Amino acid sequence: MRLMSLRAAGVFLAVAGLAVLSACSSSSNSGGGGGNGAITLPGGLGSVPAAATGTEKAGTITWALGPGTVPNFIFPVINSANNSVYNEQSFSWDMWRPLYWTQNGVTPELVPSMSLANPPTFSNGDKTVTITVKSAFKWSDGQPLTSKDVLFDIDMIKAAVKESPSNWPAYVPGHFPDDVVSASTPSSSTLVLSLSGPVNPSWFTDDILSYAGPTNPLPAHAWSKDSVNGPIIDFTKPANATKIYNFLMAQNKSVNTYATNPLWQIVDGPYKISAFNATTGAFTLVPNTAYGGPHAAKMSNFQGVPFTSDTAEFNAVKAGSIDIAYIPQTDVPQIPVVKRLGYNVFGMPDFGMNFVNYNFKDTTGHFNAIAGQLYFRQAMAHLEDQEGYIKAFFFGAGDPSYGPIPAYPQSPYLPANAATNPYPFSVADAVSLLKAHGWTVTPNGTDTCTSAGSGANQCGAGIPAGTKLAFNLIYNTSPSIIGQQIEDLASKAKQAGIEISLSSSNFNYMITNYNDPAAPANENKWAMEDFGGETENPYATTFGLFNTGGSTQIGDYSNPTADSLINASIASGDPSAVKKEASFLTANQPAMFQPTPDYIWAWKTSISGTPESFENLTQYYATPEFWYLTK
Amino acid sequence: MISYLIRRVGTSIVVVIGVSIAIFVLLHAIYPSPARDVLGLRASGTQIAAWNKQNGYDDPVIVQYARYINNLLHGNLGFSYANNQTVLALFQERLARSVYLSGVSLVLALLIAVPLGIFQAVRRNSIGDNVATSVAFVTYSMPVFFLGLILIQVFALSWPVLGFEASQSTSLLTVMGDWHDMLLPVLTLTLITVASFSRYMRSSAMDVLAQDYIKVARAKGLPERLVLLRHLLRNACLPMITLIGLSIPLLLAGNLITEYLFNYPGLGLLFFDSLGKADYPVMLAYTLIGAVFVVAGNFVADLALTAADPRIRLV
Repeated sequence: MRLMSLRAAGVFLAVAGLAVLSACSSSSNSGGGGGNGAITLPGGLGSVPAAATGTEKAGTITWALGPGTVPNFIFPVINSANNSVYNEQSFSWDMWRPLYWTQNGVTPELVPSMSLANPPTFSNGDKTVTITVKSAFKWSDGQPLTSKDVLFDIDMIKAAVKESPSNWPAYVPGHFPDDVVSASTPSSSTLVLSLSGPVNPSWFTDDILSYAGPTNPLPAHAWSKDSVNGPIIDFTKPANATKIYNFLMAQNKSVNTYATNPLWQIVDGPYKISAFNATTGAFTLVPNTAYGGPHAAKMSNFQGVPFTSDTAEFNAVKAGSIDIAYIPQTDVPQIPVVKRLGYNVFGMPDFGMNFVNYNFKDTTGHFNAIAGQLYFRQAMAHLEDQEGYIKAFFFGAGDPSYGPIPAYPQSPYLPANAATNPYPFSVADAVSLLKAHGWTVTPNGTDTCTSAGSGANQCGAGIPAGTKLAFNLIYNTSPSIIGQQIEDLASKAKQAGIEISLSSSNFNYMITNYNDPAAPANENKWAMEDFGGETENPYATTFGLFNTGGSTQIGDYSNPTADSLINASIASGDPSAVKKEASFLTANQPAMFQPTPDYIWAWKTSISGTPESFENLTQYYATPEFWYLTK
Repeated sequence: MISYLIRRVGTSIVVVIGVSIAIFVLLHAIYPSPARDVLGLRASGTQIAAWNKQNGYDDPVIVQYARYINNLLHGNLGFSYANNQTVLALFQERLARSVYLSGVSLVLALLIAVPLGIFQAVRRNSIGDNVATSVAFVTYSMPVFFLGLILIQVFALSWPVLGFEASQSTSLLTVMGDWHDMLLPVLTLTLITVASFSRYMRSSAMDVLAQDYIKVARAKGLPERLVLLRHLLRNACLPMITLIGLSIPLLLAGNLITEYLFNYPGLGLLFFDSLGKADYPVMLAYTLIGAVFVVAGNFVADLALTAADPRIRLV
């Protein structure tokens, strides 16, 4: 309840907080903070203090790595098997920055000051992209960062994909890098890419050049070789590129030498690696004095401290032995204790979506036809008590979410209908929808279709009279909040006469077996499933997930309007295309969107920095270059 | 004797092969293709197929098994795609740590449980016996996790005289010397083990005390100290030998819960993590080596029993 009070207070302070944030952002560009008061963000838990003024001291800042989040991959061209926000955003990107930085505090948006290049320009009907690398950034060995370094990265991605499509996580056949018809470097700072078709500039910039892949300039002058002592070779020749890629991947597999291999010492980010423990994943990064981006006057060493469990991590917090640490979801009630121990605390859901999938192919009990009806999906949305879940199951630490773009953290692309609940919790509304479409509703029993047909007041095409509104739902047992929400949903559904048979499973089994494209033989074994959710790209198109035949489809949702809007999101010049897409999907409910729990971080009050550099912890970003000690 | 040893070794090999086949088949039945788990939700069908091909998971199970055994015979336990290291390297990094934690706890538990069990048997129903029994019941019924949490709260957080986590050093020598941080995890495991071992020891010692040869020894006027050491201890320890043999696999498994609680990356946790990541090579190697340890533990226990009790013959 105390947390709820804090959150309520946060809402009242939101406007003032946003004003402060806005001022801070404009003064520091990146993420700088400032002002005298603490910053409270809409949807956030707690607040972030303004950057402390006075003497900035350097030292060593320790940072908690939770179980399963320790780095094990250093080469920035990461493969799909090791692709994680932990390997990238919290480790690799401190050494090799993506071309464009797209996290401004909790907001997923481009941050020009932290980007290595000026915003790209698009021409020739959005088929030509011109990238100009900034002169401020240099490699740690003193060499300038050039357009060839960006081209080198693209050629490494091409070589990776050529060997196996699984070698680059963002690869979709026909898209980047397949669509790069030619690339040239007319000057040391300019790279021109000619694409085979038009791209949406926002999508290409935010997702392809910055996040999903991402595109990281690599030091061609030092890495473009195929053996440790070999000469620098021409990476633009595909055969050479393959050799270079294989050499760098082999070096990357030598985990024990991450801190000693001279290759990995050449960085353009704010940090260099100085120690790495292959057994535990512990690492120490030291400041790169040649870093050309914004940073604190005196940068501290940054130490990743691994933990085998949330319990062990939280013990470290209680012992005061860790400087920056996450608060496990189950320990939310202990936040007041953490604050008393001398920590600041802030939480916000990560930018992503949690959802329950519908299986539009499950013919059991005509569920495919039932799920295909918008009124049914709307009724299901009405049965979801998001505010109740947050209060009862999340200890108040979470935010509602109504569509593919969550209400919080707020994205520039958030459509109006996803900011407030289009289908508020109401069993009565769900019942009304069903009755209005030919169902005889039997509260606490099982509804029956009594008016078959495809008319406006009938059950819908493919649903014969006598069909019972009964189906199964499989949910992931971990984290426990999934099961709690689903059990409540089934209970509320029962009140509307919808009979949901629940069964539990685990994440691995579910995504392997209850996924139509991956396991077509099982497509009649599940009607709905809830494995959790996904973190989204800054430009949050659902391309792949909700477009017909999308490469990451789960339940085979298909809607021509959605297809058209999704295509516009990635291929049209419309800067608000993704907002239109999200608006339609919020209304159309291709899945049942669920609230998202806060990702909560605590940091010692003796550490300060720009507010955004603490806010972005909730989005899995570590930007220790902005932190300093005050004591 | 020799023929017995040959038979046991042969049987052991068959058991290990059987376990390897069972595990291989079961894993493939549950997760026919680990690609989806490894590559994640966003992996496309193209990427899934490519990864399976790259890692040989598109071959028939029998072909995969034959390749695995072939690699195994050449000392290749596989490559952990989740940890980006060879399985052998992962095991080498963690084995000594797990063996140390389990081994020290086992030895300490024996050093405490054996005399405690004898004391309880000799002083049966005394205040000391009742106190020890009560403590053993409380400790035995307490989950390791709970006991560890209590010890951490008391000795590391409320009264911070010991570390709240185990030693983080990768040097075994440093770990061994770091009693400040290692005492609580060792104590947690030891207490749980003592609770169980002391009950076995008490029961066994009571049986032996009722034997005629003990009465004869006493009737002959043998000092009580010699009765206990020479006649009671040796005979009462026979069941403990079996228990120790069965505990040998723990050296590999480490103690998952203790490692989890005390931030001690050992083999138990490696296996636990591999389950969540569908890391086939680690799961297979761990299970297979576990089977070897179980078979070896029983084998060693049988041999030790023969050495301890001449009445037992290996035939």
